[in-house]
Amino acid sequence: MENYPKTVKTKDGTSVVIRPLTQDDGPALLAFFRALPADDRLFLREDVTKKELVERWISQLDYEKVLPMVAELRSAIIGDATLHFNQHGWHRHMAEIRCVVARAHQKMGLGTFLMHELVSHAGQKGVDRIRAEMMDTQVSAQRAFQRLGFQKAAELKNFVIDINGKSHGLVIMVNDVSDLWKKMEDLLIDYDIRMEQ
Amino acid sequence: MMTTEIKFGGFGGQGVILAGMIIGRAASIYDNKFATLTQSFGPEARGSACSAQVIVSDQEILYPYVTKPQILLVMSQEACNKFLPETTDDAAVVIEEELVKPKALKPGMKLFGIPATRFAEELGRKMVLNIVMVGFFTAVTGLVGRNAAREAVKTSVPKGTENLNLQAFDRGYEYGMSLVQGAAAPVAQ
Repeated sequence: MENYPKTVKTKDGTSVVIRPLTQDDGPALLAFFRALPADDRLFLREDVTKKELVERWISQLDYEKVLPMVAELRSAIIGDATLHFNQHGWHRHMAEIRCVVARAHQKMGLGTFLMHELVSHAGQKGVDRIRAEMMDTQVSAQRAFQRLGFQKAAELKNFVIDINGKSHGLVIMVNDVSDLWKKMEDLLIDYDIRMEQ
Repeated sequence: MMTTEIKFGGFGGQGVILAGMIIGRAASIYDNKFATLTQSFGPEARGSACSAQVIVSDQEILYPYVTKPQILLVMSQEACNKFLPETTDDAAVVIEEELVKPKALKPGMKLFGIPATRFAEELGRKMVLNIVMVGFFTAVTGLVGRNAAREAVKTSVPKGTENLNLQAFDRGYEYGMSLVQGAAAPVAQ
């Protein structure tokens, strides 16, 4: 985590600090989650408004298992993206990425900045694929993931329900990280020996 | 007129040609200089020697072939053995110091070594070895500007791999700067 914190400029020119979550961030993280509209918390696996839950996450912070990257503006967390590694089993080559940004700061490229950091990190940790899940109606999120090299791998119709109990499709997008490095390897070989072919 | 002839050497698959291309691109596209690149290959497939010849000049280059390289960058012992005798007597010799042990260095030569493979492995991908070397080359030779070289790296590697490749460049560059700033320029033993 040597290269952090980083400062980025969002589309509206706001300077935001991007860095990994630390054990000092408990209160700020809880405040961030509690300020999110219920709709924006829907895809999260647990009730992030519970103080005990956030405290447990903070106390068990282990970047080898989950790498949380936060966006900070004037000491307040305004975005949180996490990369979840699987250390065992048939998914061990794969990580999952999740991202949520405070509503007031959405559509400014902040989610893209956060996820870009995590995608880059995944490539360096031997992860071959990164998975992201979102509702079919989250079109902006799908576009953001596409810009980061994710492609739609599956859509499960009527698979999830929103806050009002209405069914939606679940879109699974995947970034084949190993493919990037295969391209790099091919580039080196192509340049060095292509005349032989 | 300032013209510099550079030879890059290594075995196929190390990214020798890409390294030469990046330096050439840095010079010609981002540093407002002129550059040419030619390349040659061993007769076998991956693993055999290959080299790239780059000329950088502040004026248009009329003859694109390297005749007497003033800078030699090598990533394999075979390449070093083969190309070192071709260099000028006061050449700068840039080596991957864990793979290359130069023999028959002349007193006027300047030797710069970096454990680039180890740095690349520490970064998580051994194949960025050549980019570490490019960063190191940039620092110790000053032939192209740091920003120009960085931009050339960024635009030469597959989309999505830029971050790690730039980290590799920075790693090599910082190591090179620590060498050149820490002591007088190394002299061949």
